[in-house]
Amino acid sequence: MHRNLRISLLLSALAVMTACQFVPAYQRGDLARPEMAFDADPLGSKLNQHIYFSKEASTGGNGVAAGGCGCN
Amino acid sequence: MALSASAVALPGVLVSTSAISDTPPTAKVISYRASSYKEDSLASEALLAGSPERYDIEIHQLRYSSPIGEKYSISLDSSYESMSGASPWYTVKSANGNTKVAMSGASIYEKRRDVTASVQRYYDRGNVGASFTISDENDYRSNSASVDGSFTLANDSTTLSLGIAHSDDDINPTDAALFNRIPSANKSTTSAFFSVTQILNQFSIIQTGVSSTRAGGYLTDPYKLSDHRPEERNQFTWTTSWRRYFREQRSAFHANYRFYDDDFGVRSHTIDFALHKSFSRSITLVPNVRYYQQQAADFFTPATDFARTMEFNSSDYRLSKYDALSAGLKFNVQLGDYTLVLSGERYRTSGSSNPAMIDFTRLSAGIDYTF
Repeated sequence: MHRNLRISLLLSALAVMTACQFVPAYQRGDLARPEMAFDADPLGSKLNQHIYFSKEASTGGNGVAAGGCGCN
Repeated sequence: MALSASAVALPGVLVSTSAISDTPPTAKVISYRASSYKEDSLASEALLAGSPERYDIEIHQLRYSSPIGEKYSISLDSSYESMSGASPWYTVKSANGNTKVAMSGASIYEKRRDVTASVQRYYDRGNVGASFTISDENDYRSNSASVDGSFTLANDSTTLSLGIAHSDDDINPTDAALFNRIPSANKSTTSAFFSVTQILNQFSIIQTGVSSTRAGGYLTDPYKLSDHRPEERNQFTWTTSWRRYFREQRSAFHANYRFYDDDFGVRSHTIDFALHKSFSRSITLVPNVRYYQQQAADFFTPATDFARTMEFNSSDYRLSKYDALSAGLKFNVQLGDYTLVLSGERYRTSGSSNPAMIDFTRLSAGIDYTF
Protein backbone atom coordinates (compact mmCIF):
# COMPACT_ATOMS: atom_id res chain seq x y z
CA MET A 1 0.00 0.00 0.00
CA HIS A 2 1.32 3.42 -0.91
CA ARG A 3 2.62 5.49 1.95
CA ASN A 4 0.62 8.50 0.76
CA LEU A 5 -2.60 6.50 0.89
CA ARG A 6 -1.87 5.42 4.45
CA ILE A 7 -1.25 8.98 5.51
CA SER A 8 -4.36 10.26 3.76
CA LEU A 9 -6.48 7.57 5.37
CA LEU A 10 -5.21 8.55 8.78
CA LEU A 11 -5.63 12.24 8.15
CA SER A 12 -9.17 11.79 6.86
CA ALA A 13 -10.00 9.76 9.93
CA LEU A 14 -8.55 12.40 12.19
CA ALA A 15 -10.59 15.02 10.34
CA VAL A 16 -13.70 13.25 11.61
CA MET A 17 -12.55 14.08 15.10
CA THR A 18 -12.97 17.78 14.46
CA ALA A 19 -16.72 17.24 14.06
CA CYS A 20 -17.19 16.39 17.71
CA GLN A 21 -18.76 18.33 20.56
CA PHE A 22 -17.77 18.35 24.23
CA VAL A 23 -19.98 16.10 26.37
CA PRO A 24 -19.86 16.71 30.12
CA ALA A 25 -19.38 13.70 32.37
CA TYR A 26 -22.97 13.70 33.63
CA GLN A 27 -24.24 13.24 30.05
CA ARG A 28 -22.08 10.23 29.29
CA GLY A 29 -24.38 7.63 30.79
CA ASP A 30 -25.48 6.20 27.44
CA LEU A 31 -21.90 6.09 26.15
CA ALA A 32 -20.94 4.07 29.22
CA ARG A 33 -23.56 1.36 28.64
CA PRO A 34 -22.06 -2.14 28.26
CA GLU A 35 -23.69 -2.57 24.85
CA MET A 36 -21.83 0.55 23.64
CA ALA A 37 -18.42 -1.01 24.32
CA PHE A 38 -16.10 -1.51 21.36
CA ASP A 39 -15.86 -5.12 22.44
CA ALA A 40 -19.12 -5.93 24.22
CA ASP A 41 -18.52 -9.71 24.34
CA PRO A 42 -14.83 -10.61 24.89
CA LEU A 43 -15.25 -14.39 24.62
CA GLY A 44 -17.54 -14.18 21.60
CA SER A 45 -15.22 -11.75 19.85
CA LYS A 46 -12.17 -13.84 20.64
CA LEU A 47 -13.75 -16.94 19.10
CA ASN A 48 -15.02 -15.13 16.02
CA GLN A 49 -11.67 -13.47 15.34
CA HIS A 50 -9.92 -16.80 15.81
CA ILE A 51 -12.22 -18.38 13.22
CA TYR A 52 -11.78 -15.53 10.73
CA PHE A 53 -8.01 -15.61 11.30
CA SER A 54 -8.05 -19.34 10.50
CA LYS A 55 -10.19 -19.11 7.36
CA GLU A 56 -9.29 -15.76 5.78
CA ALA A 57 -6.00 -14.31 4.57
CA SER A 58 -6.45 -11.08 6.54
CA THR A 59 -5.88 -10.56 10.22
CA GLY A 60 -5.67 -7.82 12.81
CA GLY A 61 -7.54 -4.66 13.62
CA ASN A 62 -10.58 -6.22 15.20
CA GLY A 63 -10.42 -5.36 18.85
CA VAL A 64 -9.28 -8.69 20.16
CA ALA A 65 -6.33 -10.77 19.25
CA ALA A 66 -5.54 -14.25 18.19
CA GLY A 67 -2.24 -15.65 19.34
CA GLY A 68 -0.37 -17.65 16.76
CA CYS A 69 -1.72 -21.09 15.99
CA GLY A 70 -1.29 -23.86 13.47
CA CYS A 71 -4.67 -23.07 11.95
CA ASN A 72 -3.29 -20.59 9.43
CA MET B 1 -14.19 10.66 32.77
CA ALA B 2 -11.75 9.25 30.34
CA LEU B 3 -11.93 6.92 27.42
CA SER B 4 -10.75 3.40 27.15
CA ALA B 5 -7.57 1.80 26.06
CA SER B 6 -6.65 0.24 22.79
CA ALA B 7 -9.02 -1.63 20.61
CA VAL B 8 -6.96 -2.32 17.55
CA ALA B 9 -5.85 -5.89 17.72
CA LEU B 10 -2.42 -7.35 17.80
CA PRO B 11 -1.35 -10.92 18.32
CA GLY B 12 -1.53 -11.62 22.01
CA VAL B 13 -3.26 -8.40 22.93
CA LEU B 14 -6.51 -8.52 24.82
CA VAL B 15 -7.94 -5.07 24.93
CA SER B 16 -10.10 -3.15 27.31
CA THR B 17 -13.77 -3.99 26.84
CA SER B 18 -15.47 -0.82 27.95
CA ALA B 19 -15.99 2.16 25.69
CA ILE B 20 -15.35 4.58 28.51
CA SER B 21 -13.34 3.64 31.55
CA ASP B 22 -10.07 4.49 33.15
CA THR B 23 -11.07 2.79 36.35
CA PRO B 24 -10.89 -0.92 37.06
CA PRO B 25 -14.05 -2.99 36.58
CA THR B 26 -16.21 -2.89 39.69
CA ALA B 27 -17.15 -6.58 39.75
CA LYS B 28 -15.64 -9.98 39.19
CA VAL B 29 -16.96 -11.92 36.23
CA ILE B 30 -16.64 -15.58 35.35
CA SER B 31 -17.73 -16.49 31.82
CA TYR B 32 -18.05 -19.83 30.07
CA ARG B 33 -18.91 -20.60 26.45
CA ALA B 34 -19.34 -23.91 24.64
CA SER B 35 -19.34 -23.68 20.86
CA SER B 36 -19.74 -25.97 17.90
CA TYR B 37 -18.11 -25.05 14.58
CA LYS B 38 -18.98 -27.18 11.56
CA GLU B 39 -17.81 -26.75 7.97
CA ASP B 40 -19.98 -27.95 5.09
CA SER B 41 -18.73 -31.04 3.27
CA LEU B 42 -16.84 -30.64 0.01
CA ALA B 43 -19.11 -30.96 -3.04
CA SER B 44 -18.83 -34.45 -4.51
CA GLU B 45 -18.11 -33.16 -8.02
CA ALA B 46 -15.07 -31.26 -6.66
CA LEU B 47 -13.57 -34.22 -4.80
CA LEU B 48 -10.59 -35.90 -6.46
CA ALA B 49 -9.55 -38.14 -3.57
CA GLY B 50 -9.83 -38.50 0.18
CA SER B 51 -12.67 -37.63 2.51
CA PRO B 52 -15.19 -34.86 1.72
CA GLU B 53 -15.80 -34.24 5.43
CA ARG B 54 -14.36 -30.91 6.56
CA TYR B 55 -13.53 -29.69 10.06
CA ASP B 56 -15.90 -30.19 12.94
CA ILE B 57 -14.63 -28.38 16.05
CA GLU B 58 -15.86 -28.19 19.64
CA ILE B 59 -14.63 -25.20 21.62
CA HIS B 60 -14.77 -24.53 25.35
CA GLN B 61 -13.84 -21.08 26.64
CA LEU B 62 -13.43 -19.83 30.20
CA ARG B 63 -12.69 -16.27 31.31
CA TYR B 64 -12.18 -14.68 34.72
CA SER B 65 -11.77 -10.95 35.22
CA SER B 66 -11.44 -9.07 38.47
CA PRO B 67 -10.45 -5.73 39.95
CA ILE B 68 -7.40 -5.84 42.19
CA GLY B 69 -7.56 -2.93 44.61
CA GLU B 70 -8.42 0.46 43.17
CA LYS B 71 -5.78 0.69 40.46
CA TYR B 72 -5.42 -2.75 38.89
CA SER B 73 -7.41 -5.42 37.14
CA ILE B 74 -6.52 -8.85 35.90
CA SER B 75 -8.06 -11.30 33.49
CA LEU B 76 -7.41 -14.92 32.62
CA ASP B 77 -8.69 -16.43 29.39
CA SER B 78 -8.40 -20.03 28.33
CA SER B 79 -9.83 -22.10 25.53
CA TYR B 80 -9.78 -25.73 24.54
CA GLU B 81 -10.55 -26.98 21.04
CA SER B 82 -10.95 -30.51 19.77
CA MET B 83 -11.25 -30.90 16.03
CA SER B 84 -11.73 -33.67 13.50
CA GLY B 85 -12.13 -33.80 9.74
CA ALA B 86 -10.11 -33.68 6.55
CA SER B 87 -8.28 -30.73 4.99
CA PRO B 88 -7.32 -29.89 1.38
CA TRP B 89 -4.00 -31.44 0.31
CA TYR B 90 -3.61 -30.32 -3.32
CA THR B 91 -5.69 -29.33 -6.36
CA VAL B 92 -5.58 -30.31 -10.04
CA LYS B 93 -7.27 -29.22 -13.25
CA SER B 94 -9.50 -31.99 -14.55
CA ALA B 95 -9.97 -32.81 -18.25
CA ASN B 96 -13.10 -30.63 -18.47
CA GLY B 97 -11.21 -27.66 -17.02
CA ASN B 98 -12.71 -27.76 -13.54
CA THR B 99 -10.50 -27.70 -10.46
CA LYS B 100 -10.66 -30.76 -8.24
CA VAL B 101 -9.43 -31.13 -4.68
CA ALA B 102 -7.52 -33.99 -3.11
CA MET B 103 -8.29 -34.11 0.60
CA SER B 104 -6.32 -35.76 3.36
CA GLY B 105 -7.53 -39.38 3.34
CA ALA B 106 -7.91 -40.20 6.98
CA SER B 107 -9.66 -37.97 9.44
CA ILE B 108 -7.41 -35.61 11.36
CA TYR B 109 -7.86 -35.41 15.13
CA GLU B 110 -6.25 -32.46 16.88
CA LYS B 111 -6.49 -30.50 20.09
CA ARG B 112 -5.48 -26.96 20.91
CA ARG B 113 -5.25 -25.17 24.24
CA ASP B 114 -4.48 -21.54 24.89
CA VAL B 115 -4.16 -19.41 27.99
CA THR B 116 -3.87 -15.63 28.22
CA ALA B 117 -3.03 -13.73 31.40
CA SER B 118 -3.47 -9.95 31.41
CA VAL B 119 -2.94 -7.18 33.91
CA GLN B 120 -4.01 -3.54 33.63
CA ARG B 121 -2.88 -0.55 35.70
CA TYR B 122 -5.18 2.51 35.76
CA TYR B 123 -4.16 6.14 36.14
CA ASP B 124 -6.16 9.34 36.28
CA ARG B 125 -5.76 9.94 32.56
CA GLY B 126 -5.06 6.54 31.12
CA ASN B 127 -3.92 3.02 31.68
CA VAL B 128 -1.18 0.59 30.76
CA GLY B 129 -1.47 -3.15 30.34
CA ALA B 130 0.50 -6.26 29.60
CA SER B 131 -0.50 -9.76 28.57
CA PHE B 132 1.09 -13.10 27.86
CA THR B 133 -0.40 -15.91 25.77
CA ILE B 134 0.53 -19.54 25.24
CA SER B 135 -1.12 -21.60 22.52
CA ASP B 136 -0.27 -25.28 22.35
CA GLU B 137 -1.01 -28.02 19.80
CA ASN B 138 0.75 -31.32 19.18
CA ASP B 139 2.50 -29.81 16.14
CA TYR B 140 2.51 -26.08 16.94
CA ARG B 141 3.37 -23.90 19.93
CA SER B 142 3.14 -20.14 20.17
CA ASN B 143 4.29 -17.79 22.93
CA SER B 144 3.29 -14.16 22.65
CA ALA B 145 3.50 -11.08 24.81
CA SER B 146 2.24 -7.54 24.48
CA VAL B 147 2.15 -4.18 26.18
CA ASP B 148 -0.30 -1.41 25.46
CA GLY B 149 -1.32 1.91 26.91
CA SER B 150 -3.69 4.78 26.50
CA PHE B 151 -3.72 8.45 27.40
CA THR B 152 -6.70 10.78 27.53
CA LEU B 153 -6.11 14.32 26.36
CA ALA B 154 -6.98 17.38 28.41
CA ASN B 155 -10.25 17.84 26.49
CA ASP B 156 -11.48 14.65 28.22
CA SER B 157 -12.96 13.50 24.92
CA THR B 158 -10.02 12.08 23.02
CA THR B 159 -7.92 9.06 23.93
CA LEU B 160 -4.72 8.00 22.19
CA SER B 161 -3.72 4.36 22.40
CA LEU B 162 -0.72 2.42 21.26
CA GLY B 163 0.78 -0.97 21.76
CA ILE B 164 3.29 -3.51 20.60
CA ALA B 165 3.20 -7.29 20.56
CA HIS B 166 5.54 -10.10 19.68
CA SER B 167 4.95 -13.79 19.03
CA ASP B 168 7.44 -16.67 18.66
CA ASP B 169 6.05 -19.85 17.13
CA ASP B 170 7.53 -23.35 16.81
CA ILE B 171 6.23 -25.66 14.07
CA ASN B 172 6.76 -29.43 14.25
CA PRO B 173 4.64 -31.09 11.53
CA THR B 174 3.45 -34.63 12.16
CA ASP B 175 4.58 -37.46 9.85
CA ALA B 176 7.33 -35.19 8.52
CA ALA B 177 9.54 -38.01 7.25
CA LEU B 178 6.64 -39.95 5.73
CA PHE B 179 5.39 -37.01 3.64
CA ASN B 180 8.70 -35.18 3.14
CA ARG B 181 7.58 -32.23 5.25
CA ILE B 182 9.94 -29.89 6.99
CA PRO B 183 10.73 -31.56 10.35
CA SER B 184 10.68 -28.34 12.35
CA ALA B 185 10.59 -24.61 11.73
CA ASN B 186 10.05 -21.26 13.42
CA LYS B 187 8.30 -18.05 12.71
CA SER B 188 7.96 -14.78 14.57
CA THR B 189 5.49 -11.93 14.36
CA THR B 190 5.89 -8.37 15.60
CA SER B 191 3.10 -5.80 15.56
CA ALA B 192 2.46 -2.23 16.54
CA PHE B 193 -0.72 -0.19 16.54
CA PHE B 194 -1.93 3.32 17.17
CA SER B 195 -5.55 4.38 17.58
CA VAL B 196 -7.63 7.43 18.43
CA THR B 197 -10.94 7.22 20.25
CA GLN B 198 -13.22 10.24 20.17
CA ILE B 199 -16.54 11.10 21.78
CA LEU B 200 -18.60 12.69 19.00
CA ASN B 201 -21.65 13.65 21.06
CA GLN B 202 -23.85 12.41 23.90
CA PHE B 203 -24.80 9.28 21.95
CA SER B 204 -21.90 8.58 19.58
CA ILE B 205 -18.32 7.50 19.88
CA ILE B 206 -15.81 6.60 17.18
CA GLN B 207 -12.46 4.88 17.13
CA THR B 208 -9.97 4.72 14.28
CA GLY B 209 -6.55 3.17 14.17
CA VAL B 210 -3.76 1.68 12.11
CA SER B 211 -1.60 -1.35 12.73
CA SER B 212 1.51 -2.72 11.11
CA THR B 213 2.69 -6.32 11.40
CA ARG B 214 5.80 -8.08 10.20
CA ALA B 215 5.85 -11.87 10.10
CA GLY B 216 9.11 -13.65 9.36
CA GLY B 217 10.30 -17.24 9.13
CA TYR B 218 8.47 -20.31 7.86
CA LEU B 219 5.15 -18.98 6.53
CA THR B 220 4.42 -21.96 4.26
CA ASP B 221 1.68 -24.50 5.07
CA PRO B 222 3.63 -27.72 5.76
CA TYR B 223 0.54 -29.90 5.21
CA LYS B 224 -0.08 -28.87 1.59
CA LEU B 225 1.78 -30.38 -1.34
CA SER B 226 4.09 -28.04 -3.23
CA ASP B 227 3.34 -24.95 -1.13
CA HIS B 228 6.08 -22.31 -1.21
CA ARG B 229 5.57 -18.86 0.33
CA PRO B 230 7.92 -15.97 1.02
CA GLU B 231 9.66 -15.92 4.38
CA GLU B 232 8.53 -12.40 5.17
CA ARG B 233 5.09 -10.82 5.22
CA ASN B 234 4.32 -7.19 6.02
CA GLN B 235 0.71 -6.42 6.86
CA PHE B 236 -1.18 -3.17 7.35
CA THR B 237 -4.68 -2.47 8.66
CA TRP B 238 -6.80 0.62 9.01
CA THR B 239 -9.84 0.15 11.19
CA THR B 240 -12.72 2.42 12.11
CA SER B 241 -15.50 1.58 14.58
CA TRP B 242 -18.58 3.65 15.35
CA ARG B 243 -21.11 3.23 18.15
CA ARG B 244 -24.44 5.08 18.32
CA TYR B 245 -27.03 4.74 21.08
CA PHE B 246 -30.73 5.27 20.35
CA ARG B 247 -32.36 5.98 23.70
CA GLU B 248 -36.01 5.71 22.67
CA GLN B 249 -35.42 2.42 20.87
CA ARG B 250 -33.12 1.18 23.67
CA SER B 251 -30.68 0.10 20.99
CA ALA B 252 -26.97 0.42 20.37
CA PHE B 253 -25.84 0.34 16.75
CA HIS B 254 -22.34 -0.92 15.95
CA ALA B 255 -20.56 -0.36 12.63
CA ASN B 256 -17.00 -1.52 11.91
CA TYR B 257 -14.81 -1.27 8.83
CA ARG B 258 -11.34 -2.72 8.23
CA PHE B 259 -9.00 -2.18 5.31
CA TYR B 260 -6.21 -4.76 5.05
CA ASP B 261 -3.18 -4.86 2.76
CA ASP B 262 -0.04 -6.98 2.69
CA ASP B 263 2.96 -7.66 0.47
CA PHE B 264 1.68 -11.14 -0.44
CA GLY B 265 -0.68 -9.12 -2.64
CA VAL B 266 -3.72 -9.74 -0.46
CA ARG B 267 -5.97 -6.73 -0.01
CA SER B 268 -9.33 -6.95 1.72
CA HIS B 269 -12.29 -4.96 2.96
CA THR B 270 -14.39 -6.05 5.93
CA ILE B 271 -17.55 -4.33 7.08
CA ASP B 272 -19.93 -5.46 9.78
CA PHE B 273 -22.99 -4.12 11.53
CA ALA B 274 -24.74 -5.16 14.73
CA LEU B 275 -27.77 -3.86 16.60
CA HIS B 276 -27.95 -4.47 20.36
CA LYS B 277 -31.69 -4.22 20.99
CA SER B 278 -32.98 -4.38 24.58
CA PHE B 279 -36.56 -5.60 24.95
CA SER B 280 -36.67 -5.28 28.72
CA ARG B 281 -34.18 -4.84 31.53
CA SER B 282 -33.13 -8.47 31.12
CA ILE B 283 -33.49 -9.49 27.45
CA THR B 284 -31.25 -8.36 24.61
CA LEU B 285 -31.26 -9.50 20.99
CA VAL B 286 -28.24 -8.81 18.77
CA PRO B 287 -28.57 -9.47 15.03
CA ASN B 288 -25.43 -8.86 12.99
CA VAL B 289 -24.21 -9.09 9.41
CA ARG B 290 -20.64 -9.15 8.10
CA TYR B 291 -19.26 -8.82 4.56
CA TYR B 292 -15.69 -9.71 3.65
CA GLN B 293 -13.99 -9.38 0.26
CA GLN B 294 -10.38 -10.18 -0.54
CA GLN B 295 -8.06 -10.19 -3.54
CA ALA B 296 -5.86 -13.19 -4.27
CA ALA B 297 -2.24 -13.38 -3.24
CA ASP B 298 0.20 -12.72 -6.08
CA PHE B 299 1.43 -16.31 -6.02
CA PHE B 300 -1.95 -18.07 -5.71
CA THR B 301 -2.54 -20.78 -8.31
CA PRO B 302 -5.96 -22.51 -8.61
CA ALA B 303 -4.21 -25.80 -9.43
CA THR B 304 -1.18 -26.84 -7.43
CA ASP B 305 2.03 -25.90 -9.24
CA PHE B 306 3.92 -29.19 -8.91
CA ALA B 307 6.49 -28.14 -11.53
CA ARG B 308 7.14 -25.01 -9.47
CA THR B 309 7.13 -22.70 -12.47
CA MET B 310 7.12 -19.78 -10.04
CA GLU B 311 9.49 -19.26 -7.10
CA PHE B 312 6.51 -18.85 -4.79
CA ASN B 313 3.21 -20.64 -5.26
CA SER B 314 0.27 -21.88 -3.24
CA SER B 315 -3.12 -23.35 -4.07
CA ASP B 316 -4.41 -22.65 -0.55
CA TYR B 317 -8.04 -21.60 -1.01
CA ARG B 318 -7.58 -18.97 1.72
CA LEU B 319 -5.23 -17.06 -0.59
CA SER B 320 -7.72 -16.97 -3.48
CA LYS B 321 -9.99 -14.10 -4.46
CA TYR B 322 -13.43 -14.48 -2.88
CA ASP B 323 -16.30 -12.84 -1.02
CA ALA B 324 -17.83 -14.00 2.25
CA LEU B 325 -21.16 -13.02 3.73
CA SER B 326 -22.17 -14.04 7.22
CA ALA B 327 -25.15 -13.34 9.44
CA GLY B 328 -25.63 -14.06 13.11
CA LEU B 329 -27.99 -13.70 16.00
CA LYS B 330 -27.27 -13.48 19.73
CA PHE B 331 -29.74 -13.73 22.57
CA ASN B 332 -28.88 -12.58 26.11
CA VAL B 333 -31.09 -13.15 29.15
CA GLN B 334 -30.08 -11.68 32.49
CA LEU B 335 -31.33 -13.51 35.59
CA GLY B 336 -29.99 -11.75 38.67
CA ASP B 337 -26.23 -12.15 38.73
CA TYR B 338 -26.34 -14.58 35.82
CA THR B 339 -26.53 -13.87 32.10
CA LEU B 340 -27.37 -16.64 29.68
CA VAL B 341 -25.97 -16.26 26.17
CA LEU B 342 -27.05 -18.09 23.02
CA SER B 343 -25.65 -17.23 19.59
CA GLY B 344 -25.25 -18.58 16.09
CA GLU B 345 -23.65 -17.61 12.82
CA ARG B 346 -23.85 -18.82 9.22
CA TYR B 347 -20.88 -18.00 6.93
CA ARG B 348 -21.00 -18.46 3.14
CA THR B 349 -18.38 -17.78 0.51
CA SER B 350 -18.56 -17.14 -3.23
CA GLY B 351 -16.38 -16.19 -6.17
CA SER B 352 -13.36 -18.37 -5.48
CA SER B 353 -11.58 -20.32 -8.23
CA ASN B 354 -10.79 -22.99 -5.65
CA PRO B 355 -13.72 -25.31 -4.81
CA ALA B 356 -12.18 -26.07 -1.40
CA MET B 357 -13.53 -22.76 -0.12
CA ILE B 358 -15.51 -23.33 3.05
CA ASP B 359 -18.95 -22.45 4.34
CA PHE B 360 -19.56 -22.99 8.04
CA THR B 361 -22.07 -22.82 10.86
CA ARG B 362 -21.23 -21.85 14.44
CA LEU B 363 -23.49 -22.30 17.47
CA SER B 364 -22.57 -21.12 20.99
CA ALA B 365 -24.13 -21.26 24.44
CA GLY B 366 -22.75 -19.87 27.66
CA ILE B 367 -23.21 -18.12 30.95
CA ASP B 368 -21.69 -15.11 32.72
CA TYR B 369 -21.68 -14.86 36.52
CA THR B 370 -21.05 -11.43 38.00
CA PHE B 371 -20.22 -11.11 41.71
